Amino acid sequence: MKLSWKPYILSLLVILIIFPFVYLVLLSFASDWQFPNLLPSYFGSRNWQMVVGSENGLLGSLTLSIIISLSVATISTLSGFILSRTVSYHSKKHTLTLLTYFPYILAPVVFGACLSYFFLKIGLFGTATGVVLAQFMIAFPYALIFFSSFWGNRTKSFENLVSTLGGSQWQSFSKVLFPMAGGMLLICFFQTFLISWFEYGLTSIIGVGKVQTLTIKVFLFIKESNFFFGALSCCLLIFPPVLLLYINKKYVFNKLI
Amino acid sequence: MLKLNFLVPFIVALCAFSSCQNNTSEDQPDLLAQSWEEITDSTAGTTVNFMMWQGSPEINNYINNYVVPSVKEKYNIDLKISGGQGAEIVQLIMSEKQADVNRGQVDIVWINGETFFQLNQIKGLWGPFVKKLPNSEYIDFNDPYIETDFQQPVNGMEAPWSISQFAMVYDSAKVAYPPKNLQELEAYVKEHPGTFTISNDFSGMTLLKCFLAEISGSPKGLNGPFSEEKYEKLSDQLWDYINRIKPYFWKQGTTFPKEATKMDQMFANGELWLGYGYGEGGIEDKVLQGLFPTSTRVYAWDNGTIRNANYLGIPYNSGNKAGALQVINFLLSPEAQFKKMDPEGMNANTILTVEKLPKDWKEKFESVPDRKYGVKMADLDGKDIPEPAPEYMIRLYEEFRTEVIEK
Amino acid sequence: MKRKRSTISIAFFILVGVVPFAAAFIYALLYSFGIVGVVNTGFTTQFWETVITSGEFFKSFAYSALIAALSVIISVSTALWLTLKFRKELDKKFLSYIIYLPLAIPGVVAAFFTYQLLSKSGFFSRIAYQFGWIQEARFFPDLVNDQMAIGIIITFITVVVPFFLLLFLNVYKNERIQELSELSASLGAKPNQVLWRISLPVILHKTWVLIVLYFIFLLGAYEIPLILGQESPQMLSVLIIRELKQYDLSKISEGYVAAVIYTVTVSVAAVILFSKRKRIAHEA
Repeated sequence: MKLSWKPYILSLLVILIIFPFVYLVLLSFASDWQFPNLLPSYFGSRNWQMVVGSENGLLGSLTLSIIISLSVATISTLSGFILSRTVSYHSKKHTLTLLTYFPYILAPVVFGACLSYFFLKIGLFGTATGVVLAQFMIAFPYALIFFSSFWGNRTKSFENLVSTLGGSQWQSFSKVLFPMAGGMLLICFFQTFLISWFEYGLTSIIGVGKVQTLTIKVFLFIKESNFFFGALSCCLLIFPPVLLLYINKKYVFNKLI
Repeated sequence: MLKLNFLVPFIVALCAFSSCQNNTSEDQPDLLAQSWEEITDSTAGTTVNFMMWQGSPEINNYINNYVVPSVKEKYNIDLKISGGQGAEIVQLIMSEKQADVNRGQVDIVWINGETFFQLNQIKGLWGPFVKKLPNSEYIDFNDPYIETDFQQPVNGMEAPWSISQFAMVYDSAKVAYPPKNLQELEAYVKEHPGTFTISNDFSGMTLLKCFLAEISGSPKGLNGPFSEEKYEKLSDQLWDYINRIKPYFWKQGTTFPKEATKMDQMFANGELWLGYGYGEGGIEDKVLQGLFPTSTRVYAWDNGTIRNANYLGIPYNSGNKAGALQVINFLLSPEAQFKKMDPEGMNANTILTVEKLPKDWKEKFESVPDRKYGVKMADLDGKDIPEPAPEYMIRLYEEFRTEVIEK
Repeated sequence: MKRKRSTISIAFFILVGVVPFAAAFIYALLYSFGIVGVVNTGFTTQFWETVITSGEFFKSFAYSALIAALSVIISVSTALWLTLKFRKELDKKFLSYIIYLPLAIPGVVAAFFTYQLLSKSGFFSRIAYQFGWIQEARFFPDLVNDQMAIGIIITFITVVVPFFLLLFLNVYKNERIQELSELSASLGAKPNQVLWRISLPVILHKTWVLIVLYFIFLLGAYEIPLILGQESPQMLSVLIIRELKQYDLSKISEGYVAAVIYTVTVSVAAVILFSKRKRIAHEA
């Protein structure tokens, strides 16, 4: 009889994964939790009511984060898709791709700090547009690299076929290439959405604390040691991606290599 | 050809970056020559950006749930708060200056002496505006703690917002005799290792200034302009002292907390027994909320502790100076200052001279109950030190890192 | 016409993909030599000398590299072990969804959560107290903001393991390692040989570029060490941002020196990595 320790490890794994979600939700309902009490002295919906009632701006931050991330994801997915075609078919393909790697692997916060002068110059410092542009600059290389595997001989021959049959480039994009890349577009959209949704350093620098996305809020609450509101903003931050994952898990990961 | 293709957009883009001058400089009329009515005539419907330190829930609550709705209701001004303090403010305004931005990010900044000093260095403030504010009539500008900020004359370039004294705090249930001078502190940490530390932030540096004054031999030892020679001599002794006793600090002095709020948490859960803070120690609200034990007490340091005012300034390139004036005037109003004194709220000392107020307000201010656990600022009279010149703070910040943290 | 359109897209590519990086780098370089900056007075190598001689930056670099390397090694090993031992179970419906969940947790939240659990007044400390293992909060071991960076490493691992686990499971399937293993087993290979000669080499060969990339990402990580790190030594990004935002305006250039060195190092790494990757692509 083979010793069956596997179920235990697996259960532990499941617990480890589920635990943060449960803990953060519980913490967001708690208040007045002094050391060394194991349980908080208040447990109820007070914090959540405050989200709607008070001027702390969490609802505004949620909306702002959604708008910024949707914009970044849409722009970088579309431009990444179209431009990666140009880059992939270009004779200097490797040099161009190498160039995209630089901003991709640099720490965004350092990149942002060195860029802030130019954002000031063009008047986008401290604005949501500026934050979208800055996040686009790090999401775009991801999209570009992501799509580079799509443009190969197979795709090329499809394009040639369209062209031989008298189709325009627009038709080749709308009727052939976009439908072909459907799944990948979705994955890329999802990934760039997350890059933007999770971004803190770059946003804090280009947004100067004025563009208060959810990640900025979490930090603010940590700074004032308001852990319960911190947990609450964490919940707002993690559950939308969980939902997205649920919707299209199978698309998320197939193509990362 | 290909190389050229490669370069052209690059050059075009660089030119675009440098030529795009962001010159939306709306001409703001010379406000200082206008009457208050003229100034505030056009502020309705505008937005004012206020950059402030956001590390305290009480202050944030006061601003977000009282000041923001009040100015909206009274003047129809949208007050937008953003986080930032000290060096961040200076750097923002400095970079804007460097980039010729005529309509800056912020209209009001909450600052004190060392930021005031640095902003003056780069001519980053607009003014003098304080005397323009109707509510400035309630402020006593003869008080040296108000008119002198870190040994520098204020001259109407920043409006005082509140005044407080730095004070030491201890848990009387755990410590019978809290240390009142450096010698006693050394004995204390040896007896109770791990229960004291210095935060690497504004409050911690203020504590170091108090220590530096004590080493100088008198509360007035640091008065006057910055002296390199004096600083070198005193700071050498200070670092020797701290490095000698830091093995008995929290985490054996291998690291120091970044923020005073973190120290509060540690005091709350009994890791630290000794603390300090502005606002006469800042314990009242925390005891009332149940964060600090009711045995928490404030006490005076033998050689005295720093007392100072904090201020509101208007950056030179604010896009809405009139709106900023309107909001600052509201913050100095008896109404807003009274709300700020609320023992259950921000619990801050008013900057206004109560005797100068209209009778009904005077009565209201005088009826504010005394603190139950903390002390009044007047109780610390005689144990107060004026802020030394800003260079002391800047140097202490730098050297606390190089001489203590990194050693 | 077609040619023109391609020129426009290349121009646009350069505008968003190359110009910002070049601009940021040139600006940092100029600032580091005192050529731009309000309080700077002109060209000087003084800031470079200070940074190079003070040693704080290189200490931070080594510290960051060590933390990143340790975290990546532990994460990759854990993920490999889970993949090889549990791939069948992890393919089942419920688990295959569950293992995606950690992807929804960003660094900020992970760091916040670690702090809530492991700090001296955190959840585990409370449990230890209730069981009577400690009498006071201060006796709980140092797990966050600590000298050994334990909090940072634990958080890095929890963030990175799920990613590698999913990656390896994917590679295992796509590279038909199952079939390969069965084939070699039928040819007489022992389980150990299958593991060391087939499964591991195939997986690692296919993914090592991503493993190195993750090392570089962790090297530049910001939020997690900002919350869980200590005051000295600090991890690279935290150090650079602190120097760029410091009180002493005359020393801001030192932060740009650090930024320039970091950028050059990472870019060189990118060049090496990418040219290797190209080779692999050609082989495949």
